Amino acid sequence: MQEFEFNEEELKAESEQLQQIRYLTKENAVFARTEGGFVSLEYDGKKYDRVGVYRMFPISDPEHYISIREADEKAREIGMIVDLEKMPKDTAEMLREQLRLRYFTPQIEKIMDIKDEYGYAYFHVLTNFGACRFTIHMGGDSVVSLSDSRVMLTDLDGNRFEIPDIYRLTVGERKKLDLFI
Amino acid sequence: MTEMLEKERKLLERYGLVPEDIVYTARFDVAEDYRFTDGMILLTAEKMAVLLYPPVSGRDYYFGGYRTNPEEAGWEPALQIYDLAEVESLGIIRELTGGVLFGRISGVETRLCRFTNSHMGEMERLTDNLEKVKKKETLTKEDIEGKQRIERCPKCGTIYPDQQRRICPKCMDRKSIFARLASYFLKFKGRLVVMALCFVGTAVLNLVYPYLSGTILYDKVLSRNTEFMEFLQIPGMKFGVLLLVVVVTMAVSKILMQLLGIIHGTITATIVPDVVARIKQEVFQSMGKLSISFYNGRQTGGLMTRVLDDAGEITSFFIDGVPYFFSNALTIIVTAVIMIRLNWQLAVIALILLPVLTFTSYKMMPRLWHMYGRRHRANRSLNSQMNDNITGARVVKAFGQEEQEMSRFHHRNDNVRKAELDVAKYEIRFYSVLYSLVENLTSFMVWGLGAILILNDSGLEFGVLITITGYVTQLQGPLDFMSRVFRWWTNSMNSAQRIFEIIDAQPEVAERLDPVRPEKIRGEIEMRHVTFGYEKHKPVLKDVSFHIEAGKVLGIVGRSGAGKSTLVNLISRLYDVQEGEIYIDGINVRDMGFRELRKNIAMVSQETYIFMGTAAENIAYARPDATRAEIIAAAKQASAHDFICKMPDGYDTVIGSSGRTLSGGEKQRISIARAILADPRILILDEATAAVDTETELAIQESLEKLVKGRTTLSIAHRLSTLRNADRLIVIDDGKITEQGTHQELADLKGTYFKLMELQTKALALRE
Repeated sequence: MQEFEFNEEELKAESEQLQQIRYLTKENAVFARTEGGFVSLEYDGKKYDRVGVYRMFPISDPEHYISIREADEKAREIGMIVDLEKMPKDTAEMLREQLRLRYFTPQIEKIMDIKDEYGYAYFHVLTNFGACRFTIHMGGDSVVSLSDSRVMLTDLDGNRFEIPDIYRLTVGERKKLDLFI
Repeated sequence: MTEMLEKERKLLERYGLVPEDIVYTARFDVAEDYRFTDGMILLTAEKMAVLLYPPVSGRDYYFGGYRTNPEEAGWEPALQIYDLAEVESLGIIRELTGGVLFGRISGVETRLCRFTNSHMGEMERLTDNLEKVKKKETLTKEDIEGKQRIERCPKCGTIYPDQQRRICPKCMDRKSIFARLASYFLKFKGRLVVMALCFVGTAVLNLVYPYLSGTILYDKVLSRNTEFMEFLQIPGMKFGVLLLVVVVTMAVSKILMQLLGIIHGTITATIVPDVVARIKQEVFQSMGKLSISFYNGRQTGGLMTRVLDDAGEITSFFIDGVPYFFSNALTIIVTAVIMIRLNWQLAVIALILLPVLTFTSYKMMPRLWHMYGRRHRANRSLNSQMNDNITGARVVKAFGQEEQEMSRFHHRNDNVRKAELDVAKYEIRFYSVLYSLVENLTSFMVWGLGAILILNDSGLEFGVLITITGYVTQLQGPLDFMSRVFRWWTNSMNSAQRIFEIIDAQPEVAERLDPVRPEKIRGEIEMRHVTFGYEKHKPVLKDVSFHIEAGKVLGIVGRSGAGKSTLVNLISRLYDVQEGEIYIDGINVRDMGFRELRKNIAMVSQETYIFMGTAAENIAYARPDATRAEIIAAAKQASAHDFICKMPDGYDTVIGSSGRTLSGGEKQRISIARAILADPRILILDEATAAVDTETELAIQESLEKLVKGRTTLSIAHRLSTLRNADRLIVIDDGKITEQGTHQELADLKGTYFKLMELQTKALALRE
């Protein structure tokens, strides 16, 4: 029953650690690919077999402020990388790979058909990862405008689809989307 | 079990995996390069196999909402087989859209596959099932199939628009709903008949007027038709008199039309509010009977507005829609018949474009509805910002962000403007252009053909031409109505369905038909092996048993989310337990009458509920017959008396949503006074002092101590000091009772309670 381990000093140390900002740089952190396709980290004398890689500003600034976290449920932050560019090339590459994994979002390139019926909209689209059909709920927040031209859709299963720029779609396709934006 | 293709079967057999041995299959849908693909992971008693197709372009992948995916990919799958002995465990890393399955295989964490959220459930079950298979347990049906997440109509496969209501709009029986609705109006039989007569009258007058102003006026009167004179028996060829008669008749019929309109309006005004009120009353009555779980599943505010809107929608359909439908249908048919009888050539020309008009309206209508929908959403977003700003005015001012809010408002306001503009433009196109085009074209054609017929002397009289053009104009209203009435009917039947659903809902927690009604309750409580979860398979309480003697205090300790509040909710039977029993004085709560049960249990919780009314009414909520003296005594005991007296209107001060606002502590004291006055045998204190400052807490604590005396009390608290006079304590963690005993026993146990105690003492020491 770890949650009930109330040790005053420990608690204090923990909260202090939570409040501290730690920057990971190419000087103090060593990332490496693991055999199983993940990324490990050596930092501050500690070795982490697998780390989580998160963006702090996934939409507005995906290349900066990358948070490196422990792989368990609690996902405590180990440190942050301010600029991926400043990391060694292969490190940046393996981290980007992890980011691609985490932020995997099919981008809609072409809209074949949208049919709406009884509160659900049935999409048939072409994404950069292949053609697919999915369904969204018409009410609520399944369609979010990230900017004037960028739209994020969330389907019934919780899968996210992105339209990076609606003005790159044809007029006809935009008309089909009209109902949602 | 997922169906398997022949080639998959062959491939597996080649590697010694017999499909019959497979106990579980999970599918996944994303390849290493992220493209959509097909793949599956198979479990047998000894092996785990990963089967992966390369992605194929030119085919569609199906996510939730669409039905199954039986298509066959044209490529050969790749296969990877692991011995279960090497697979130590499986885990899932959750990503935003889907996740990654990894396994600890011979000590190495290995990525096995990627999948979208559509397969998350299957993959989660895979990780659980692996454990079970390794332990040689047999998988149950639920282990294999899981629960279907998206509910759909079994008849046609449509997803239910509202997942909590298993109602398919496609297969819904609209006729029976209509009949049931009609019964609400039966009470007004007499008035409805009058209304129907008004409609028929109006329709007839509508037909007569063009005839009067055309055929009669031009062909009979102005052309001095003698036959007609004789027919009316006006002697002496006095055309002046005849003209007067006709003009007066025309005027009278116009006045009559207006009169009928007024009568119809008046009747509508008397029936509508009555029916709406009756429907709302029934809804409210039914809502009162329903169990708490009904409310948890829905947004209460939204529910209420929807019910009110729905009632209005239905009534307006019945008042405006149904009668007009008949009168319009009548008008269309009779007008067409008359026109044909007057002059069939002209009638054909006049009617020829009308189907085109109806068809285009029908086609254009959905787009118009879409635009209305968009306008509605834009308005809603604007309203919600206004609401935000009004409730958060203090924050906006404090941070000096008026300008930013203004620009945000401007943005949304502009959206509304644009949506309005679009609607207006389309409506103009729709009604003005389309309609006037058809109208003008038709009358142009009618006039043209009429002129030709008259010039050719083919027996057409000028007045008939005037009459027919009059009818043409008159037909447009009814036709437009017809093009939209179907959608109206569908909508109002949906509304009605929603309302009936609430009216008909069966409370989950129901009173027994012949409940036990004990005269007096002592207050002994016993729980035996109680298991309960808000969702069936996620138990919040697991096998909880305890016993409190009457008049004793039981303290309940535990982290937030451990199940403490759930436990006390079960005692007053806000929910029914799924397993086990709860007894009060040896009587199962399921057998006890609601009145007896709830009269004897009072709850003071951190969420105080003050309803609209005076302070005195609020205190006397559970016992409206309480005397003033009793109310004052209760308030005094709850230390509420002083602050109530200081308010200008004393006990008569209106408090609650639109009245005077009370502080958290004041509200709390009112609710304690309410509990004192209710004089229950069983008292539940659910974090009663969590929302107040230390000083107020002390005051309330004293009132509570008085209240507790002689009653069985269940007290939930974070601060252990609150529980110092509890007779027994239980510690709940993760839905289970982990420790129980007296304060001393638990302290000696040196377990959770001890640690908690130590920590709080230290925290107190730090504060000082």
